[in-house]
Amino acid sequence: MTEAIQTQGLTKDYGRGRGIFDLDLTVTDGEVFGFLGPNGAGKTTTIRQLMGLIHPTRGSARIFGLDCDRDSVAVKRSVGYCPGELPQFGGWRGSEIVSYIAGLRGDVEDASIKALAERLDLDLGRKYREYSHGNKQKLALVLAFMQRPRLVILDEPTTGLDPLVQQEFYRIVRDTRAAGSTLFVSSHVLSEVEHICDRVAIVREGRLVTVSRLHELVGMRAFHVEIEFADGVPTEQLRSVQGLEQLRVDDHRASAMLRGSFEPLMSALSGRRVVGLTSREPSLEEIFLTYYAAKR
Amino acid sequence: MTLVRISLKLGRTGLVAMTALGVVTGVLNALAFVQIAGATPAERLAFAQSMEILGTQLSYMLPIPEHLDTLAGYLQWRAFGFIVLILGIWAVISSTGSGRGDEERGLVEQWLAAGTSRARYIATRVLVFSLAALFAIAATMALTYVAGKGAGEPLPVGGIAAMGVDLLVTTLVCFGIGLVVAQLMTTRRAAGFGAAGLVVALFLINGASRTSDVGPIRWLSPFYLYERSKPLTHDGALEPSAVAALVIAALVLITFAVAAFVRRDLGGTALPPTSRTSRPTTAPSRDPLLRIPVVALLRQQWLWIATWTLGITAVSAFLASIVKTIIDTLMSSSVPFMRAYFERAGLSGYDTFVGAIWLSTLMLILSAYAIVQVQGWSADDAEGRLATILSAPVSRARVILERLVALLVAVGIICAAAGIVVYRVATSQSIELDASKLALATGLVVAIPFAFGAIGQLLAVWRPRIALVLLSMIAVVSYFLLQFTPLFEWPEWVANLSLYSLYGMPMSGEVNWSGIAGLIGVGVVGTIGALVAVQRRDVGA
Repeated sequence: MTEAIQTQGLTKDYGRGRGIFDLDLTVTDGEVFGFLGPNGAGKTTTIRQLMGLIHPTRGSARIFGLDCDRDSVAVKRSVGYCPGELPQFGGWRGSEIVSYIAGLRGDVEDASIKALAERLDLDLGRKYREYSHGNKQKLALVLAFMQRPRLVILDEPTTGLDPLVQQEFYRIVRDTRAAGSTLFVSSHVLSEVEHICDRVAIVREGRLVTVSRLHELVGMRAFHVEIEFADGVPTEQLRSVQGLEQLRVDDHRASAMLRGSFEPLMSALSGRRVVGLTSREPSLEEIFLTYYAAKR
Repeated sequence: MTLVRISLKLGRTGLVAMTALGVVTGVLNALAFVQIAGATPAERLAFAQSMEILGTQLSYMLPIPEHLDTLAGYLQWRAFGFIVLILGIWAVISSTGSGRGDEERGLVEQWLAAGTSRARYIATRVLVFSLAALFAIAATMALTYVAGKGAGEPLPVGGIAAMGVDLLVTTLVCFGIGLVVAQLMTTRRAAGFGAAGLVVALFLINGASRTSDVGPIRWLSPFYLYERSKPLTHDGALEPSAVAALVIAALVLITFAVAAFVRRDLGGTALPPTSRTSRPTTAPSRDPLLRIPVVALLRQQWLWIATWTLGITAVSAFLASIVKTIIDTLMSSSVPFMRAYFERAGLSGYDTFVGAIWLSTLMLILSAYAIVQVQGWSADDAEGRLATILSAPVSRARVILERLVALLVAVGIICAAAGIVVYRVATSQSIELDASKLALATGLVVAIPFAFGAIGQLLAVWRPRIALVLLSMIAVVSYFLLQFTPLFEWPEWVANLSLYSLYGMPMSGEVNWSGIAGLIGVGVVGTIGALVAVQRRDVGA
């Protein structure tokens, strides 16, 4: 297995603890690698260093053996990139933007652009300023995938996409991987990387917390659940449910954080008159707080 | 109060620049008058006569001069006759920024989401600009007064105050025009150009009305109303009906703009929506020009380049067409001052005057073109386009060099078109121009935007936020150094500090090859500096 991405002590120090520090990471060729962290954790800073847009304070990053800072032009021949912050192209039409960037790349087939635009249901005839946020994101994805690169780096790629287009995006990721490419996907949503990634690195406050295979993250997965009972809350029964933490009871309502499977909870609720049950995925920061608090 | 503070912050660059420009224009013209007009009544009279002849020829741009033997008359004509247009352009930039630019950047949405009412938002922006304009004009008038007093030619206090009032209300009318146009366009760029074009057109209508009957349309021009009052030469008296008309026009325009802003959709216009004309497609553009290095940049800007080419060729044609009349008038006048001045400058035949008048104007306009390009390069970085370009396998050096080559090609196109037009107009006026000399002189002008573009690249990479201001200052200072060194009899090295002095006067003498080499040297050094700086900087950070 060759290494698609390798960073050694990669650091960008913006002062006051902001940036990314001493990042050691290896992404294997052909895998889909998730880069997970809350907002402000240093994901975009890392990606910009990989793209050679910003220079490291110390350490190094290599893509397919080439130094991302020194050999950035050669590196980018093999890389497609979707930025986290979308650029502004004003009155340009989508078709003009893709043509211009395709001209800069020089290795893009029109058929590839057309296929992507069709899959993402993107009208390239419209002016960029007329695009919704979701359509701008789709255009950024077309620009990232259009040259069928060996490595695709995606910074929070599903922002603004509706659920249907998100599903199509996941299919594009799988197809791209099946064609032999490597994908490096940053996100702050755990469930998103679960859809597509083989391995996940987690960063927090500028530092790498862990690199795990996806099944190793199951213990980290959590849901915030709220249950409304017709009668009183069976508090003791709920306390005994495996993975249920931070239980709070308020009149006929109970709320808690559920880690792991829903099965023990559903068993505990059987025979009870449940009026309502809602669950939502908590933010990554909430997950971190409960996960690391539990581990300590 | 927060909105006021933020609005002031957003407009501070324009306020500082406009105040500086106003003060420099007022003070330097006051000092220049004392220097060149002579001390005795006879000298003053001779000066006034020569300037009045010149003023008649420049009536498309400046008011009909009167009392040019006094500082008050001279300032009313030379300084305040033109600065009103500069104030108007500033007002348009500011109003289209408030009325459309901040909306494009999403700021208006944030303010409205925070609970600010639309009426309050737009009224605050109007109020803040009014205060800014009041400050800039008051500073200009006060320091011009001080300069006049210091030079022993005190200006009437009432006159200078009334002049300030006249300037202020005219500026507010231009602000209102910009604000209204901003409600009718979807982008700041379109609103800015539309409103600036309208203001310049109204200025030219007034210019035309000075020498010919343009009919009642002249009353539509705020500049016509502005010139009805001549407070500096008429004991501080303002023409009440004209000032009242300006105040009413400002109120009506601003009220209309506020009402339109309150009623229209955010991001939309006050005009009825039009149906889409583009056909849905998933195919990339078939235009091959978009995929060729350098050509792609020119292709993106073709409309922009065409507009500049048309504008500059029109100005060039106009200048070439009036050269003969101006020179005949000035050279045949009984005032020895002008003849001596021209001889000192090496201006003898019509052809040399074409060179002096047209090429000096061309230098200034092409500098402005280069500065506007630099502003676009800074925006490429701030708005994420540069990061997108650099995410393709494109070196940073290539971006810098492509931009410069595109600038030079565009300037070359503009110069070639303008040069051909000048040659044809001049020959139609029976002015014999040496075609090869004209071609050489026109070609060498390209060195000026090259120098500005290269310095601009360096600034856009190194300090993008100050690039526009610093480059504009270089252009303005260079212009003033060249204009005022002979007037104040400063040493020659002071004039040589001007970037424009390096170009020389190739139509009236030998080509200043060392100066041209100097300009190219500035361009090369700026380019190398930009190439080094761009490698070191972080993009999009």
